[in-house]
Amino acid sequence: MNKILTIAIKDVTLAFRDRAALILMLVAPFVLTLGLGAVTGRFSGDTNSGLSNIPVIIVNQDEGEIGEIMVDVFNSEDLDELLEPAFANNVAAARSQVEEDDVAAAVIIPAGFSDSLTADGEPVKIEVYVNPARPVSAGVVQSIVDAFVSRLEVGRVSGQVAVTQLVASGLVAPQNAQAVGEAIGQRQAEAGAENSLITLKRASPSADSESVEFDILAYLAPGMALLFLMYTVSNGGRTILAERHEGTLPRLLTTPTTAAQVLGGKLLGIFFTGLAQVGILILASTLLFGLKWGDPLAVFLLVAAVAAGATGWGSLLAAIAKTPAQVSSAGTAMMLMFGVLGGSFGFNFPLPGWLQIAGKLTPNSWGLEGFTALGTGGALADVVTPIIALLIMAAVLFTIAVALFRRQGWAGR
Amino acid sequence: MNKIFAIAWKDALIRFSSRSELLFFVILPLTFTFIIGGGFSRNQETDNRVRLLVADNANSTLSAEVLDALSKSKTVRAEVMPLAEAEAAFADDGAPALLIIPTGFEVGGQTELELLQAPNNLNAQVAERAVLAVISRVGSALSVANNSVVEAERLQPFASNADRATYFNASLEQAQALFESAPERVEVTEATSAGQPYDPAAQASAGQLITWVFIPLLGISGLFAYERSQGTLRRLLTTPTQKATYLLGTISGQLVIALIQMALLVIFGVFAMGLNWGQSPLALALMLVTFGLAASALGATLGTFIKSEGQASGLSVMLGMSFALMGGCWYPLELFPQAVRTAVQILPTTWAMQGLMDIVLRGQDVAGIMLEATVLTGFAVVFFAVGVWRFKYE
Repeated sequence: MNKILTIAIKDVTLAFRDRAALILMLVAPFVLTLGLGAVTGRFSGDTNSGLSNIPVIIVNQDEGEIGEIMVDVFNSEDLDELLEPAFANNVAAARSQVEEDDVAAAVIIPAGFSDSLTADGEPVKIEVYVNPARPVSAGVVQSIVDAFVSRLEVGRVSGQVAVTQLVASGLVAPQNAQAVGEAIGQRQAEAGAENSLITLKRASPSADSESVEFDILAYLAPGMALLFLMYTVSNGGRTILAERHEGTLPRLLTTPTTAAQVLGGKLLGIFFTGLAQVGILILASTLLFGLKWGDPLAVFLLVAAVAAGATGWGSLLAAIAKTPAQVSSAGTAMMLMFGVLGGSFGFNFPLPGWLQIAGKLTPNSWGLEGFTALGTGGALADVVTPIIALLIMAAVLFTIAVALFRRQGWAGR
Repeated sequence: MNKIFAIAWKDALIRFSSRSELLFFVILPLTFTFIIGGGFSRNQETDNRVRLLVADNANSTLSAEVLDALSKSKTVRAEVMPLAEAEAAFADDGAPALLIIPTGFEVGGQTELELLQAPNNLNAQVAERAVLAVISRVGSALSVANNSVVEAERLQPFASNADRATYFNASLEQAQALFESAPERVEVTEATSAGQPYDPAAQASAGQLITWVFIPLLGISGLFAYERSQGTLRRLLTTPTQKATYLLGTISGQLVIALIQMALLVIFGVFAMGLNWGQSPLALALMLVTFGLAASALGATLGTFIKSEGQASGLSVMLGMSFALMGGCWYPLELFPQAVRTAVQILPTTWAMQGLMDIVLRGQDVAGIMLEATVLTGFAVVFFAVGVWRFKYE
């Protein structure tokens, strides 16, 4: 056991002395997490998105009060941070600004829009002229216009129904309908009528309601750590072949050290390196970003299971490849493909069922599931399934790798 | 000229000496473009809506309306099942959200729905927005009917609860009919001179093109380290070859390879993803060449700072991925906070992405991308000058 540990510790020391490897083991995931935190607005206080100051231009050609109200909505304090509205009189100039990519959308309120809302008014449409190069911002502007028009519609229907039913039930004479309708409209406007009587209670499987808050970085940071963990394990696998090619492995086998001890030491070294890498990234993100990873014991067990699963892949790669260069290339490809299939890039891409199942073969997928559960208040019991899945993955891959190594002869082909 | 060609050819041979280079040159870039661009769901009738489990414990008229509205949603796919089964599926199958319609959910009764969301799950957020839209739609009619009853009671109290209910139901029916027949009051039109509607695959195609070409062009730094470690750069000292000739040969060789790679990705975008890359071939060519020049000159400059091939490889991947991310190649730049949007103007990837999106989405021609092409050329000149200035044979 001492020999195995000695070999493992030697490999961990070498890995952390290799400045080039450290770039991809620690610096790259950290820098990318930092970048993702910046682009998602995580560091500027907005935890959901960095969307702000959306440039939009409004052309109000309506002579009635509804157009004015809509202009006020776009100028309101509530939308102050989200929108950066400008106003124009010329429709062609506004369209031109959208086409030139100066603004995300133009909102054109046509003449006669207020009048069109009366019972006998001809329908007139507000035009939202959107910039295809800014689909999300344009979508936000569109949703603001939709919400405004929806409220108008509710007000219109509410007044109409109230008056019609009052007249139908004989509570109001038909000749008084208009005056009553105006009074109702006034009351509803003052009350700021609630659009929906149905409410929604949101809940999470976790018992700790405070930790349910969505934190985009709690998803992205583990994703990046797991992405580059695959680099670390394939780099570790590369050292097995490098030792063969450089002749240090056959030399080691001339000492009273068995082949199984050497391989055990090498694999344990990869495992420890992965464990240390993820541990350092967790510690750094906790201290620098205040990220909550959850119950320390459960986090440690999950990290160990993830490192074991990933080491399984690293060892299999080393067992299959013929040269260190092959391990490097295949390892980088594996790292990227596992990242896409396992969700490390922060998005679940639309994949067919068979590829979604294939995603479950990656340590990234199970690791992310576990880290997400823990980061949002879950306990050890919530990550038992990912841990068991990762340990099974490790056991199966180790067994195949050892069988392949044994067939090839420990010291090389 | 012969020297430049010879150096370029030698570098190409070194780079493609291993067949695995094809993996990064064409196989992975195409695979990523296809997956991220939603290639599996293009031209198919596959249902990519977010899965929403629904347990209807009420079985009331109102719950039926909610289910009917959910069935028309463009963003969620409602799967109705008994509560126990839904809870088990939510716990075991990884569904992002479970909507529970409680017993007694009906007009005049309990009107609170419960939504269980998987933590930190982006699809759970999508499901929540869809459910909110549905309850707003269904709830609006209820709200209108309720207001109608309040207005009637203001004038004269109802004789009985049954009268009140009758009045409410009549109001609700009328409100629903009016909402159903309400005219469209908003029209959305898309600005595009080329008549090409927005396609999220365009972002993926342009973004992946930049990412996969940028990283190997930064890898030019590795060629320098390789030559230094082999001692061949020292040997060059003994020949009448100038620094600029060597750098030009190295850069031009990698640039040609990059242009071939970009052409393959563009062709893939056109034929496999149906993207409109070919609106202005001249503008496209100008953008690809200037981006290639800027990236390869940056790689050459990087090569004068690093000490080993390993460092070059690590830095190329790290800087390549970071610059691509911050330049808007992975996520649209419009999502970034204003300060970040301003700061990333110093990256060549930002300008390259802007120019390519101008072409593929906004149908711009040479005049439309001239600013981006000029800035990229400026990057190339500055980086190349720094590279020549700092270049050492040892």
